Amino acid sequence: MTDTVDHAGGSPGDPSDGSVSGVRSRLRRYRELRLTEEELATALLTPVVCFLLLISFYPIVDTVWGSFHQGYVLEMEPTTFVGLENYEAVLSSGSFWNALQVSLIYTFVSVPIELVIGLGMALLLNRAFTGKYVVQAAILFPWALPTVINAKIWAWMLHGQYGVVNDLLIRLGVLQEPYAFLAHPDVALASMTLITIWKTSSFMALILLAGLSGIPDHLYEAVRMDGASRWRQFRDITLPLLKPTILVALIFRTLPAFQAFGLPYGLTGGGPAEATTTLVLYDQQLTFTQLAFGRGSAVATIITLIALVISLLYVGTLYEPEVR
Amino acid sequence: MSTRSGRFAFDVESFQWVGKKLGFYGSLFVLTLVSMFPVIWMFVTSIKQPANVVQFPVHYLPQNPTLENYATALSQAPFLRYLVNSAIVAGGTAIVDVVLGALAGYALSRLRFQYKLHVLLLILGTAMLPYISRLIPLFSLARSWGLLNDYLGLIVPYSAFQLPFAVWIFQAYFKELPDSLEEAGLMDGLSRIGVLFRIILPVSAPAMATTAIIVFIYAWNEFLFALTFMTQDQMRTITVGIALYQGQYQYPWGTISAAVFMSIVPLMLFMLFFQQRVVEGLTAGTGKA
Repeated sequence: MTDTVDHAGGSPGDPSDGSVSGVRSRLRRYRELRLTEEELATALLTPVVCFLLLISFYPIVDTVWGSFHQGYVLEMEPTTFVGLENYEAVLSSGSFWNALQVSLIYTFVSVPIELVIGLGMALLLNRAFTGKYVVQAAILFPWALPTVINAKIWAWMLHGQYGVVNDLLIRLGVLQEPYAFLAHPDVALASMTLITIWKTSSFMALILLAGLSGIPDHLYEAVRMDGASRWRQFRDITLPLLKPTILVALIFRTLPAFQAFGLPYGLTGGGPAEATTTLVLYDQQLTFTQLAFGRGSAVATIITLIALVISLLYVGTLYEPEVR
Repeated sequence: MSTRSGRFAFDVESFQWVGKKLGFYGSLFVLTLVSMFPVIWMFVTSIKQPANVVQFPVHYLPQNPTLENYATALSQAPFLRYLVNSAIVAGGTAIVDVVLGALAGYALSRLRFQYKLHVLLLILGTAMLPYISRLIPLFSLARSWGLLNDYLGLIVPYSAFQLPFAVWIFQAYFKELPDSLEEAGLMDGLSRIGVLFRIILPVSAPAMATTAIIVFIYAWNEFLFALTFMTQDQMRTITVGIALYQGQYQYPWGTISAAVFMSIVPLMLFMLFFQQRVVEGLTAGTGKA
């Protein structure tokens, strides 16, 4: 940034000198009624910030407030402050702890597996080849599928009597007779986890692919000269340099996985026996089926806190300022 | 790196080469098949005779393919109406976010002002928080403003939720533009607003397309808010319509398959034609050294 023009709004140059900034400040005086950078930025950002504060930020504060009250939202009764009563009710409920466990298992089993598969896919796609465009579109397609519609697709494919998965497994000799995958608690949760892995590994691959393309080739060439194996190249160059991208990919996938709702809703409705009831599904049923708005707000607040903790943990463990 | 000293060495090498190629394209084929199989299967199911949908062992090639399931889907439930609802909501959300995202992205990437970092943190920070924690208050807001069962009732929250993303894509794009654009405009006597509208926005079409597509896909796919805010059948979006559809006697897998296939055709075309934009949008500002 040596001889570039300094931006207006900061320090106006002396109008008398012949420098570019001098000319610019003369121009600015010439157009006194026009906006400075500062004013234009304010004009552009105020509506956006107000919009976000009202629709995105205030509701969260309101939810926290609601979690300490009873009769919230229901216009029939006045809202009363009840302190920690909602939290006590939630934390002493077996269904809440079950939902927390389901969400944690689902999230922390699916995300690491997605990372490994996504990394494999990214390494495979990290080159030019014929038909790359079509392959990439096909691989990315599952990510674009609406979650709840995807749930319906798999509910049909995993159908206990007529499902194509049963048919394939019988033809392959894995099964003797059709098996009702979604009627057994553990298998239903495992199925739900596998479906997510199928759907979003490619998203992981895409993020990692962007990271891979940012690694300069000459680094590889240098160690190839030293006769380093493929594995050594991967371990000593690819992985360390990919770390920031991996962090982004993990956060991008963990937070949505922790908020899974459409998949259990459409696949199993949360059953059998709450085996696939994730936290958000539990919260949604609590709030809009049982109309327990106070307890629903308490669960939503707990979900928000856990999401924040997860983000901070990731950043804390994986963030390294300035890798040299 | 072998020296091609004799015929034998050369042969081994070409064998290895062929093997590598086969392995590579084989893996690609398997990946593509696994990714597309469920959609192919929905299509196969949807063109079967209704009586043949529930058969075991499964027929992989439909005998006497028919469009009957599609006719049923379009006549028994307002699936076409659901698709139109989804298109209006997703299109509206995309337009709002392109406009707001472009303006905010420009301010954050090319203007100097105080509190820039704070504004950026606020915008990106809201993106990290779970949607469920906004559902109840927004539900009561929508109810008191009369926005339940109204397109705006979904467009407003969707726009707010995806705005950080839109701002991010635009500011990443604007950062790449040369500084001389504004300078030239100002020297030519344009005002700052003139520069923005006559120079910057016209060249930001790629970022607009990327934002519009990603936001559209999100809004087309969203389920939690759509389920909560649209309580009348006529106002339901396609995701809610399919999730709540029940047949009269047994679960109508044939009809559902037809409805599902209709709902994902637009997405397939999107992915095929705008893949580069989607990829750019998802990876904006990540890992690009």
